[in-house]
Amino acid sequence: MNRLLRRPAPGTSSTTGRRATGTFVILCAASLVLLLPVVWTVSTSLKPSSDVFAPGLGLIPRHPTLDAYRGVFGTVPFARYLLNSLIVTGAIVVLNVVLCSCAAYAFAKLRFPGRSLMFGLLLTTLMIPMQVNLIPLYRMMVWIHVRVPVLGADTLSGIIAPSAVQVFGIFLMRQFFASIPDALIEAARLDGASELAILRRVILPISRPGLATLTIFTLLQAWNDFLWPLIVSGSDASRTLPVGLALLSSKNTVNWPETMAGSVVTALPMVLVFVVLQRQFIEGLTAGTGKDL
Amino acid sequence: MTSVPLRRPRRPRARRGSGRTDKVGYALVAPAMVLTTVFFFVPMVLSLYWSFNDYNGLQPPQWVGAANYTDLARDPSFRHAVKNTVVFTLVTMIIGPALGLGSALLLNRNIPVRGFFRSVFFLPVTLSLVVVGTLWKTVLAENGLFNHGLALLGISGRAWLDDPSTSLAAVSLASIWQGFGFETVIFLAALQTISQDLYEAARMDGAGRFQSFLAVTLPSLRPTMFFVYVVGVIGAFQAFDQMYVMTSGGPLESTTTVVFYLVQRFQAFDLGHASAAAYLLVVVLAVVSAVQLRLSKRLS
Repeated sequence: MNRLLRRPAPGTSSTTGRRATGTFVILCAASLVLLLPVVWTVSTSLKPSSDVFAPGLGLIPRHPTLDAYRGVFGTVPFARYLLNSLIVTGAIVVLNVVLCSCAAYAFAKLRFPGRSLMFGLLLTTLMIPMQVNLIPLYRMMVWIHVRVPVLGADTLSGIIAPSAVQVFGIFLMRQFFASIPDALIEAARLDGASELAILRRVILPISRPGLATLTIFTLLQAWNDFLWPLIVSGSDASRTLPVGLALLSSKNTVNWPETMAGSVVTALPMVLVFVVLQRQFIEGLTAGTGKDL
Repeated sequence: MTSVPLRRPRRPRARRGSGRTDKVGYALVAPAMVLTTVFFFVPMVLSLYWSFNDYNGLQPPQWVGAANYTDLARDPSFRHAVKNTVVFTLVTMIIGPALGLGSALLLNRNIPVRGFFRSVFFLPVTLSLVVVGTLWKTVLAENGLFNHGLALLGISGRAWLDDPSTSLAAVSLASIWQGFGFETVIFLAALQTISQDLYEAARMDGAGRFQSFLAVTLPSLRPTMFFVYVVGVIGAFQAFDQMYVMTSGGPLESTTTVVFYLVQRFQAFDLGHASAAAYLLVVVLAVVSAVQLRLSKRLS
């Protein structure tokens, strides 16, 4: 993406200086409008609750304080939500990277009876919305929880399990692996490497961009996922940040700084990842929109 | 895999029927297949079965045929939910991609700090819809930023989310704000792959800026637009998070979507109707996907 940005953009050769200035001004104004709600949110989270309804736009807190943050980490168990979100997201990312890579390697480079049928079956799930499974999944998790109390409904495992393998990840990695020349794999086989060793030492090291895409895609999805964690978590013990924030925002109609502080805590980790890994992030989320169109 | 006889150096193992590779292949796909079966295919079948039953989750399901589906067709709440979902999809899918394309065209010009602008447009995409909903619920509240801004212009605002005539528009606004950066980035990437020669040729033929936009840019973007619309429509039909946070589906069901309705039926222990609603969603989205497949074959 950066490579594309550095290249002179097509259709711009006749752009005069005045045009460019006009565009620049429009983009500045648009950015300002886009960012205003974000700035206001951060600012409100730093206000004492008595300042919220003060006249004026209130884009800059007059009496900045961290009270709201103390509130969400004290009276509201945001530390617990944060920890839950970290565990859930971490587990989902690791599981997807490992399991999707394994399956994708087999689908792309190994031949075995039933391969196409199984891959086809997996692909059909991409067309079916997750909501259709919501209720049976919930009942399954309750069933499991009754028998094994540490698993299933109202535990982190219940949130993680249905997202442990995302078919889109298999699809993505298979595309990536398919572009790797067979000769490389043959050579490693001749050297006596096992298939697992080939995957680990030959395929994965040259698939870093694909793995980065998969990681970022899964990371964002797992961190921001809401409906399933909402359904399956019944108490603070298993609530993730979005679920906890929704709860806070529905209970709390008056204490805006606390709600906004909760929003900042929920959003900040992904925003930081985005700021650090912008290129990979944008490429990751627009994966699958390029070549095959 | 152990040593391979030197007499057959080419493709010694990985061919069909080689028992060893078969086993490895099955072992590698097994976790994915098992998990997808248990957590996707089995629930899908259960859900289909329940959609033809009267079922509250406690007593055993009672077969009622297609009654749940015909009930839905008659239920004013469900019809409301369908209408809201369609309106939401139309509004967000007309304004969102248009804003995305407009921003992409601006970002495609030679301007300073292009990368920075692109990041600003993309930033909301990284936010969860719960955060976006919470943020906009506050911004659009009676004492919120939006009305403060309007007051500066001498316009008196109102509680946008508490008024059934504006609530769906307000939720749509928040959704567009969150999503159009994604479309911007996709359109921008597509714009940068259009060959400069095409513009050159158009200029030779005496085309102005607007004419070459119509003759070169738009046709070249067709596959991208197609992708944006399919992904967008599928996403919009599943809208739930922002409604849950901003309005709880209200006021007066004005922001109740199909998925919201489904969750409500589920929480009311009416699993039969909830499953039927879910399957209607499946059918609609399957049609969208089928149309996508058909059209994308014709495009390529």
